[in-house]
Amino acid sequence: MSSDTTNSRGKQVGLIALAVGIVGIVIALFGFKQGWDTGEVRPIMSWLVALGFWLSIAIGMLFLVQIWYVFHARWPTIIRRQCEHFMAAFPYLLVLFLPLLAIPFLHENPGLLWKWMDGHNELPGHGTVAEDPLYAWKSPFLNIPFFGIRAIGIFAVFIGVATLLRKWSFDTDTTGDINNTHKARRLSSLGLFLTAIAMTLGSIDWFKSLEYHWFSTMYGVWFFSACIRAALASIIILTVILACKGYLKGILKQAHRYDIACMMLAFTVFWAYISFSQYFLIYSANIPEETFWYNIREKNFDGALNSWWWVSMGLIFGHFLTPFLLLLWYKTKIVVWRTVGVSFWILGFHLLDLYWNIIPGKLVAPDHGAGYLVRQFSVSIYDLAALVGIGGICIFAMCRSMKKAEPIPIRDPNILKSINYTE
Amino acid sequence: MTEKYGIIASFPDTPSFFHAAEKVRDAGYKNWDTYSSFPVHGMPEAQGQARSKVPIFTFLGGITGFTVGLLMVWWMNAYDYPLIVRGQPFFSPVFPFPIMYELTILLAAFGTLGGMFITNLLPQHYNPLFNSDQFLEVSGDRLVIAIEARDAQYDVDATRQFLEEIGGTDIEEVTA
Repeated sequence: MSSDTTNSRGKQVGLIALAVGIVGIVIALFGFKQGWDTGEVRPIMSWLVALGFWLSIAIGMLFLVQIWYVFHARWPTIIRRQCEHFMAAFPYLLVLFLPLLAIPFLHENPGLLWKWMDGHNELPGHGTVAEDPLYAWKSPFLNIPFFGIRAIGIFAVFIGVATLLRKWSFDTDTTGDINNTHKARRLSSLGLFLTAIAMTLGSIDWFKSLEYHWFSTMYGVWFFSACIRAALASIIILTVILACKGYLKGILKQAHRYDIACMMLAFTVFWAYISFSQYFLIYSANIPEETFWYNIREKNFDGALNSWWWVSMGLIFGHFLTPFLLLLWYKTKIVVWRTVGVSFWILGFHLLDLYWNIIPGKLVAPDHGAGYLVRQFSVSIYDLAALVGIGGICIFAMCRSMKKAEPIPIRDPNILKSINYTE
Repeated sequence: MTEKYGIIASFPDTPSFFHAAEKVRDAGYKNWDTYSSFPVHGMPEAQGQARSKVPIFTFLGGITGFTVGLLMVWWMNAYDYPLIVRGQPFFSPVFPFPIMYELTILLAAFGTLGGMFITNLLPQHYNPLFNSDQFLEVSGDRLVIAIEARDAQYDVDATRQFLEEIGGTDIEEVTA
């Protein structure tokens, strides 16, 4: 009876999410179409930021589930199932990625979003992409066919690993077959490598190559830390909602929340460590090919501080210092509303972090001279629409998956350890 | 005339030991402790203990390390012997960061260690409980609750009776 009402409520939430998602996507696609027609790239970037946001949550969960398998972690078994439900979003995210993938193949200027894709694109200060020796060196990697193959390969890894892990885990519910756990564990030990490579290539292709002159060996690790932080914050929010309104009532314990919150603290430090290391290496080396990336996030060509400086400071104090100090306190990790508050805070700043990484760009100056313009920080209705739209589809996918399997993996060998878990 | 340290009582199994601790807590005793050779989950709560104060020492150590690292680099690079390196400024919050960060960790670790010693009243070379032969068996299979004489509620007869009521056996007065 109670499970029926929970089920129907889940169905309702899924349908609402689908409706909201479709509305958001229609509005965002309208912006996308405008960008496509006019060549003004900002509404297309809204789509990229929103896709990156929801993809990072799903990738983070994919990592966590595999890490839990590899380390034979018993306590997160009930949480693992919720992650498996969210991982159902990967195929939808592939479909939602297709508009971006269409640009290099269908648009008259293939370099509309990723400017290296069209040799005719003018560079600020010096010539075109085709005349650029740096591009010539990078072209064996940065070319459209290989980009397309990589994109498909990256999603194949995400979808493949997620589908297999979901299938085996759901199968254990009915058969109780221990081999499913063994298989999942074996796949995870390989899958972690595959996922790491796919995620690194994805972050390089879709975010870093927006400014293809720039290079940083820390970029993949930055995206990894961002993914895990986003996933952990989402897990807190999702499981607390399920514990208040849904099927995790009485199952999710303080100890589970506490451990996830401890990981949030750890990865807050890790994110800061990686982000700072990237900055610090480039600061120390002081090579113009690298430093410009941070310069445009601080100053305009004339040396005046620009809007990104405020965002940068916001990230240092808002994305690191505030959650770090808050999460140091034991109370923050066990009092529900405080943990949830910090989770929303982290998700918000994670979005800002993606803005900061994706949106700024060096634009050709109006007089085509030696100077350049910087694409400034802005928030548009299309940002919101894409975020809500893609998010709605992801939540719909999750609710749809929740109907297919038990709320918790009832016949998993570790389920008792997880239910009876104490600090 | 020997001074009394307190009364110890043994308990036959972990559940009765655990629930006895809860009863001692509820009876309002303050200076008492439980002793077992293995950790009993939930025992700090059953004893009504507040959370450890060690994190405060850790935090203060970390803050000290951070500040010391910052000041050290400023003093060396910008004040005592200003030196131009790679055309970068004499002082900036960026390049001293590894030093600030390392010192934060080092002094936070020292703070944790020191805080652990201070809050555990260590080093303590003598504890009267070891005068009891029964107590020595705690490192084997004995589960012991000891109520100390300095507790405000302590009364030899009443406390002995109380320990009997909550299921204690082998009750013994320990001399200091």
